[in-house]
Amino acid sequence: MRKTRFRSFPVLMITLAFFAGLIYFIINLAIHSAEWASMPYNGHLSDSDAMEMTGTITDRNGVVLAKTENGKRIYNQDEDIRRACLHVIGDDSVNISTAIQTLYRSELSGYNFILGLGAPDFLQKGADIELTIDSEVQKAAYRALGDYRGAVIVYNYKTGEVICMVSTPTYDPENVPEDIDTNDEYEGAYINRTISASYPPGSTFKLVTASAALEEDPDNENREYDCIGYTEIGGKTINCYSVSGHIDMTGALMNSCNAYFAELTVDLGKDCMLKQAEKMGFNSSWKFDGIETAKSSYDVSEADENAFAWSGVGQYTVLESPINMAIRSCAIANGGKSVTPELIMNINTLFGGSLKQNDSSPSKTMMSKETADKLADMMDYTVENSYGKGYFSNYLDVCAKTGTAEVSDDGLAHAWVTGFTKDEDCPLAFAVIVEHGNSGYQAAIPVAGAVLDAAAEALEGD
Amino acid sequence: MEHIAEIASFAIRLAEPFLALIVIIMAFSSLRGGRRNEHALIVLENEKDNITFPVLYWENSIGRSRSSDIKLSDPTVSRDHAVLLRRNDGWFVTDTGSKSGVYVNGERTVGRHQVAVGDIITCGTTSLVLRRASDTGAAEPRHERKIFPQGIILSFVTLYTALLVLQAVINMGNTDALIPGIAFIVVIWLYYAISRAAFKRLNFELESLAMLLSGTGIILAASHDTRQAYMQLGAMVLGLFIYSFMLWFIEIPDRVMKWHIAISVLTLLLLASTLVIGKSVNGAKNWIIIGPLSVQPSEFAKIAYIFVGASTLDVLQTKKSLAAFIFVSAASVGCLVLMSDFGTAVIFFVTFLIIAFMRSGDIKTVILAITAAVLGALTMLSVKPYIAERFAAWGHVWDYADVAGGYQQVRSLIYSASGGLFGVGLSKGYLQYVFASENDLVFCLMCEELGCIIALLCSFVIGGLMLYARAVTTRSRSTFYSIAACSAGGLLVFQAALNIFGVTDILPLTGVTFPFVSYGGTSMAACWGILAFIKSADERTYARHKPKQRKPKTKPKHTEEYEEDYVEI
Repeated sequence: MRKTRFRSFPVLMITLAFFAGLIYFIINLAIHSAEWASMPYNGHLSDSDAMEMTGTITDRNGVVLAKTENGKRIYNQDEDIRRACLHVIGDDSVNISTAIQTLYRSELSGYNFILGLGAPDFLQKGADIELTIDSEVQKAAYRALGDYRGAVIVYNYKTGEVICMVSTPTYDPENVPEDIDTNDEYEGAYINRTISASYPPGSTFKLVTASAALEEDPDNENREYDCIGYTEIGGKTINCYSVSGHIDMTGALMNSCNAYFAELTVDLGKDCMLKQAEKMGFNSSWKFDGIETAKSSYDVSEADENAFAWSGVGQYTVLESPINMAIRSCAIANGGKSVTPELIMNINTLFGGSLKQNDSSPSKTMMSKETADKLADMMDYTVENSYGKGYFSNYLDVCAKTGTAEVSDDGLAHAWVTGFTKDEDCPLAFAVIVEHGNSGYQAAIPVAGAVLDAAAEALEGD
Repeated sequence: MEHIAEIASFAIRLAEPFLALIVIIMAFSSLRGGRRNEHALIVLENEKDNITFPVLYWENSIGRSRSSDIKLSDPTVSRDHAVLLRRNDGWFVTDTGSKSGVYVNGERTVGRHQVAVGDIITCGTTSLVLRRASDTGAAEPRHERKIFPQGIILSFVTLYTALLVLQAVINMGNTDALIPGIAFIVVIWLYYAISRAAFKRLNFELESLAMLLSGTGIILAASHDTRQAYMQLGAMVLGLFIYSFMLWFIEIPDRVMKWHIAISVLTLLLLASTLVIGKSVNGAKNWIIIGPLSVQPSEFAKIAYIFVGASTLDVLQTKKSLAAFIFVSAASVGCLVLMSDFGTAVIFFVTFLIIAFMRSGDIKTVILAITAAVLGALTMLSVKPYIAERFAAWGHVWDYADVAGGYQQVRSLIYSASGGLFGVGLSKGYLQYVFASENDLVFCLMCEELGCIIALLCSFVIGGLMLYARAVTTRSRSTFYSIAACSAGGLLVFQAALNIFGVTDILPLTGVTFPFVSYGGTSMAACWGILAFIKSADERTYARHKPKQRKPKTKPKHTEEYEEDYVEI
């Protein structure tokens, strides 16, 4: 029988392997449990009769944006603030995938490894989340957008704090419209357009083309050109909005001369353009506070000469998210270095201490300081001479570039504006899109102006 | 009021892992303490030089081979010369195909021959005299088996299940779980009484452990679907019948050996009939549906298969060829693969490897079998590539979160994580709404509702059964029991591994049950049948108890005495 015992050795190995597997599972569970538990498929956190999120969400001034009272999730008293903050905060469902209440469900509901989601109420105290946004600025942006679909993103280019992130169409999370899934009015209402949508950037992309040219050779600043209202590239015409006459780069940017930048693009070549676009955030996405943004894309590998020329003025297949546009304006304001936005100031748990994740994309050097300063001066000049400083803001010194992006459907063009303020106390980078607003000057600048004024007022107190 | 209920439910959840742990500690330490000391039962004394060989086991190989239990360095002795074995009616010697034969008191023996004290057994030129251990001074001091009072272990199982029932009642706000819960407790105590009074079995550790698992499964079912709980309880009662029958049937291994061919045929018939008249449910054609009853014959084939593989030592040493066994195994695995029941096929294959190695010790056979299996699997995949698609999600289930292949695993992981260490409470979980949560995903269902401590403790019980089966290989009454117990334990562990690691995406999801816990009547009943093999390896199962008057007056508490411990022949 000794032989039999000796030969039972493989059985022992199987058992040891079994125990090793269990240990492996437990280690895996301990490492990943919070991540697993906060998956959108978790019924404990997403079903209609699910366990409530108990944590409170406040803005930068402590204004309560969402809290739980008597087992019910309630939002800010002001309906406009509720609507303005919908895409940042989320609603009771998990329909808005990038919202704080979706991404931080497990933290808000007090998840921990020891008790899971099974603790009784008195132990199940969710974490409180303090955001960087300002509810009054949010409201101003929501009102300024009016009935338009669009997006507004404003953030501090020194600290990265997002002051305003508004997307329309929106709805009231306390009275979710019943026809939300069928009514065209709410089409795309679950999408936070500032981070999850991308559009043709139109003329705002001329800043990328200009930086590519300046990075290639700083003397390109003085490149001169005679604009006759159009040019022919690759056998097809590229039109301008007006005849600019004899211009240098500053003049071309101010007049938003398509011909100038189209010729410049072709001279720079595909490699140079692609390299600079990628340095400025194209073909990749940003990550901050657990949020991953939509990818902006610049792909000219298949483009013929004419199409490539169009790509240099933000048409062809170029797509960009509002947040990427704000980040590259931030780099221009900041001497070439971008600062990654952040939306969460603090996450305070029951046991104290902050749970804020540090998984944000690193800041990026998008261009040299020399290039950045030149572009900043050109944007300053553009506002001064084309739009008028006062048209933007009564208090702030704004540098900006508008864009009017043709869209393939027959609607009016999308209106863009992006830029930054030169004020030391109020260093803001921004991007605004008004869908089918037709003209950046007419539709986007007034929105940006209203939001920047509100932000200036709000930050005065800080 | 709502608060009180919530706090009570939470307190119960905190207490349950400790109760389960107490049961496990008591049962396993009692199993350990209940083992026989390996002292000499009798001794063999070499006539020439008076060197004694202690006879330690119930079945002892005699031969020149280094691994023989009684090793004779005599060139005229064959490597595996004979087997000296003990049965209830005395000691026997069997010539296992030796060249020079076995002589008892000078007469050549054929087949099994009874021997008594003073008899001379001659192998080759060596003559051995059978003596009492006490006569030669080789006897060791009286050993008493230290065990836990069996009733107390079962009381803790009862307390554990009662708290589960209470928790279910509180959480559900109705008394649906009450009746199945009470019925379960009645069944376990009734069986305990029958086991002691009618079967005269004093030890109840293995049953208590299996009842801990079965109870967890039944109350889990009761908190989701009362009908399932009754089904499961009924299956357990059937399982207890099978268990009792099997323990009776394998009491005399020599009798079982005579049924060998019949059982081999039965195994193949069970599988082949399923292949012919079986119905396909959820992708595997392994069900036979008769009226309202649906059974999985492959579950019972597992029991029959272990019968086919296990063998007493004298038969093992005589018939060394594995050919017949390999034929039955290959045919069984073939049938299962044709049914697309890959999980059970793999379980059969692993059981085959365990038995084949324990019988022959031939590593070449094992390597050959594994090679053949790998080649077979590769051929299968190249002929029917769609089989691979069933396992396509393995290793990256998160990419398959909303489609077949990964849906169940993703939910299982999410809800395991949601349960924490103590669970969200019976019936409060969400995994119950996912398909097959009560059988294929039951490990994660336990993690979610009862907490991962209980889920792990239940897994540990299965692993512990295996370790126990291995620990008693030399103490059981025959290699038949040793081999059967190890392969039964190995089967249970491997099945549990496929279940647990399948659902947690460590192995591909094959859809096998968690022994005793998963919902499934056939599986539950068959698991009790498999447990009988482990129970039979426990020497005490078939022990004759010492008559009462022979007890010492100052008998210490919690010890057991068996007649076999004080050998008189």
